[in-house]
Amino acid sequence: MAEALVKKNPGKILCEKCGSVILLENAAIWTEVPDGIYLPAMKTTDGEGAKGYEFWTVSDMFAFENVGFCNTVENIKYLACADCEIGPIGAHMLSDKKTFYVSPLRVKHDVPSDGTDTVDDAQPAPCAE
Amino acid sequence: MDAVLTTLKILIIGDSGVGKSSLLLRFTDDKFDPEQAATIGVDFKVKAITIDGNTVKLAIWDTAGQERFRTLTPSYYRGAQGVIFVYDTTQRETFTHLTTWLTEVETYSTKPAIVKMLVGNKIDKENRQVSREEGLKFARKHCMLFIEASAKTRDGVECAFEELVEKVIQTPGLWEAEDGRHGNVNIHSTNTGGYCQC
Repeated sequence: MAEALVKKNPGKILCEKCGSVILLENAAIWTEVPDGIYLPAMKTTDGEGAKGYEFWTVSDMFAFENVGFCNTVENIKYLACADCEIGPIGAHMLSDKKTFYVSPLRVKHDVPSDGTDTVDDAQPAPCAE
Repeated sequence: MDAVLTTLKILIIGDSGVGKSSLLLRFTDDKFDPEQAATIGVDFKVKAITIDGNTVKLAIWDTAGQERFRTLTPSYYRGAQGVIFVYDTTQRETFTHLTTWLTEVETYSTKPAIVKMLVGNKIDKENRQVSREEGLKFARKHCMLFIEASAKTRDGVECAFEELVEKVIQTPGLWEAEDGRHGNVNIHSTNTGGYCQC
């Protein structure tokens, strides 16, 4: 495969708070963003936000299983969990309609489903059931 | 992993305070600080739903905030395959206003056979002002699916989306498969046109 160097998410990407499935396995591509993307803090008490330099990206909003798009702030639509609305977990710039960024620091990474040993039974159930 | 059958645009319409947004929230007991996303406000959501082995991706728009201007922009309605009308069973005027919302949808929707569902919300609250019979009668008159719901307990909420999507999928010409096919694909037409029994 010509795209052997492309790194995709091996397991599902879940909301770290409620376990809602944001992306299925292999749905997103690991992308480095040299200039970084600023995301406001997850909680109002956390003060300032932070810049991220590595993201999971998809090129179509329907690549997501569940996600919320916030109202536009300065040409950016921040992404939130569709089920509990915690966020921002990522961003989408209106200037680039083909890229949707999810911060790996703000989501939970599920164990790949074909993993032979340790499967974490404590994972919250996917919300779509 | 299921292939995605189609993507659908679904609108949630109704007066302020009837609980439109909460229909989309998963109920949680967790006590967290208010989050930024809630502060900014959610514009729309993408949700995957699986029905009879078919995955359908929904883009769900609720009118939160915009209904203050009474008339939504026509672009909001454009291309929508399904509409969920929500009223508060404890506030009669939110039921009375449905006629206005219905007129708007009929004026601006670009799909001829848009599927409509009526949701009488907040049935967990006391002081009911709109009976189930009234809601059902209105729904039948306007060819809408009907359920009563409580976002607090999530009674009927999952069911509402599933039934609406099933109806859309069963309506020829209303949607297009991801691979270009039209029509009914692998959907068992159980209880077509029926009212939700949950």
